[in-house]
Amino acid sequence: MDGVRLQISGLHCGYMTPDRGLVPAVEGVDLALNRNEFVSIIGPSGCGKSTLFNIIAGLLKPTSGEVALDGKEIVGRPGHVAYMMQRDLLLPWRTILDNVVLGPELAGKPMEPVRNRALALLRRFGLEGYENSYPTALSGGMRQRAALLRTIMCERSVVLLDEPFGALDALTRATMHEWLLGIQREFQQTMILITHDPDEAVYLSDRVYVATPRPMSFAGIVPITLPYDRGRDVTMTPEFADHKRQVLALLRGDKGATDALH
Amino acid sequence: MNAQKTNHASFLSRLGDAALPLGIVVALLAIWEAAVHLLQIQPFVLPAPTEIFKELMISGPTVILPQLHVTMAETMAGYLAAIVVAAVLSVLILYSSAFRRGVLPLVVASQTIPIITMAPVLVIWFGYNSLPRIIITAIVAFFPLTIAAVTGLKSLEPHFIDFFRSLNATPAQIFFKLRLPVALPSIFGGLKVAATLAVIGATISEWVGASQGIGYLIAQDTALLNTTRVFASLTVLGIAGMALFGLVGLIERLSMPWIYARPTMAWLRAQRSPQSPAAAVARPRQ
Repeated sequence: MDGVRLQISGLHCGYMTPDRGLVPAVEGVDLALNRNEFVSIIGPSGCGKSTLFNIIAGLLKPTSGEVALDGKEIVGRPGHVAYMMQRDLLLPWRTILDNVVLGPELAGKPMEPVRNRALALLRRFGLEGYENSYPTALSGGMRQRAALLRTIMCERSVVLLDEPFGALDALTRATMHEWLLGIQREFQQTMILITHDPDEAVYLSDRVYVATPRPMSFAGIVPITLPYDRGRDVTMTPEFADHKRQVLALLRGDKGATDALH
Repeated sequence: MNAQKTNHASFLSRLGDAALPLGIVVALLAIWEAAVHLLQIQPFVLPAPTEIFKELMISGPTVILPQLHVTMAETMAGYLAAIVVAAVLSVLILYSSAFRRGVLPLVVASQTIPIITMAPVLVIWFGYNSLPRIIITAIVAFFPLTIAAVTGLKSLEPHFIDFFRSLNATPAQIFFKLRLPVALPSIFGGLKVAATLAVIGATISEWVGASQGIGYLIAQDTALLNTTRVFASLTVLGIAGMALFGLVGLIERLSMPWIYARPTMAWLRAQRSPQSPAAAVARPRQ
C-alpha cells in the first residue's frame, strides 16, 4: 500500500515462566499503519498490548515476525519510534523545558534550536509560563501534555501512545481527546493508541484494531468513517454509536457482527 | 516586590521554628546550672555551664582552636577520601555482579571490627603523623556512604529505564541523567551521616598515638581531671560538627532545587535570570 509507514507481519512473542514454560503473549499479529493515520488498538487489560508496543519500540525481541518502519527492519533496535508510556515519566529533577527536550538531548542534537522550538510549542500545548517549573507543580492533564510534547519533540515518523489518559478523570479526558486530535492533525503525526475505552478508540481513530484476550491477536479491524474534522458532538450521532457497536461486538468475540476483515 | 515580602515572612516563620529548640536548650542549661550550685557538685565531676563558658573565653582561642584546626583537617581529608572510595565502590557494586558477590561481603565484614582497635597497628605501619588518623576517619565514614549510594542508585523504577532505552540512551546517559539524579536524596543522606561519623572518627583516633588534635587535648585534660576544659573542647567540637553537617545540608539544598524549591531558591534563581517571571517558579503542589 502506498504511504505505509509501519508494517508488522506474523509477529509472535512469548515469555518463559518457571512454572508454565513458554507462555505466548502475542500470537500472529499483522498491522499496517499509513502515513498520518491514527490507529487504535483496543483490547481487554493484560491482553499483551504493551508487549506489542515494547516490540515496536525495540525494547523486546519477538520470537518471530517482522517490524518494518518506512521499509526498514527495526526489530530489537530502539530509538526509531517515539514511545509515550502509560505513566507520564516526567523526570522530577528537570524543569518542564528540560524535560520536553530530553529526546534530542540524548541523541546529541545541537540544543539551541531545539530549545527554541520547544519554547514555541509549549504555548500550543497549554504549558506557557511553566517552562521553568518542575513537574510537581503541574496537574495530571498538564503532565500528560508535557509528556506528549516530549514525545513529539523526538521527531519520529511513528508515535506510540500506551493508554496516555488512563489515569485522568473523565472531564479532563474528554478535553484531552479533542486536544490530541487537534495536535495529531496539526503536526501530521502518525499515531498508534492503546486503549480499553471504546469511545476513546472510535472518536480518535481512522481505524480500530480489536484485540483478543491473551495471547493477543486481532479479532478484526473497524474502519471509522466519521468526518475527518470531528468535534466532540460527533460522539452523540447514530454513526458514532454504530461504530462503537461494531467494536464492542468484536470485543465480545461475536465475529458475525461485522464484515470487517482480519 | 511580592516575592520580597514572602521572603521576609518565611524568614520570620523560620525564626519561629528555631525558637522552640533554642528555648529547650536554654531551659536545660538553666537546670544544669542550678543543679550544680544547689547540689554543690565539684567542677571536676560536672562543671557549671557558666564555668565552661568562662573556660571557653580563656583557653578557646589560644588552646582549643589550634587543636580543632588539626582535627578538622584530618576530618576533611578522611571525609573526602571516604567519598572517593564510596563513589568507586558503589559504581562497582552496581555494575559488577562478581564484585557484588565477591567483595561486598568482605566490606561488610570489615565493618564488624571495631576499627579504633586498629589505630595502634596503623600507627606502627604509617608512623606518628596524621595519615593513620585520616585512614581511620575514612574507614569509619565510607561504609554508610557506600550503602546509601548503592541504595539510591538502585532505587530506580524500571519504567524509567525502559523509557530511556526507547530513546536509545547510552549506559553512560542512563547513569548520569537518570540513576544519579534519582540517587541524590539518598546520597546526601549518606553524606550527612558520614560527616558526623568523620568528626567522631578523627577525634577518637587522636586518643591513640597522637600528639595533637582536639581528641588528644580531651584525653590529656581527662587525665588531669580538667573537666571544665574537656566540656569546653566538646562544645567547640560540637559546633564544628554541626557546621560541617550544615554545610552538607546547604549543598544538598542547592543541588536539588526540585525538592527544595523554597522562597530562598526562588530568590537565588531570580538573581541569576532577572527576566524570568516569579510566577513561573515552581512550588510543590499542596
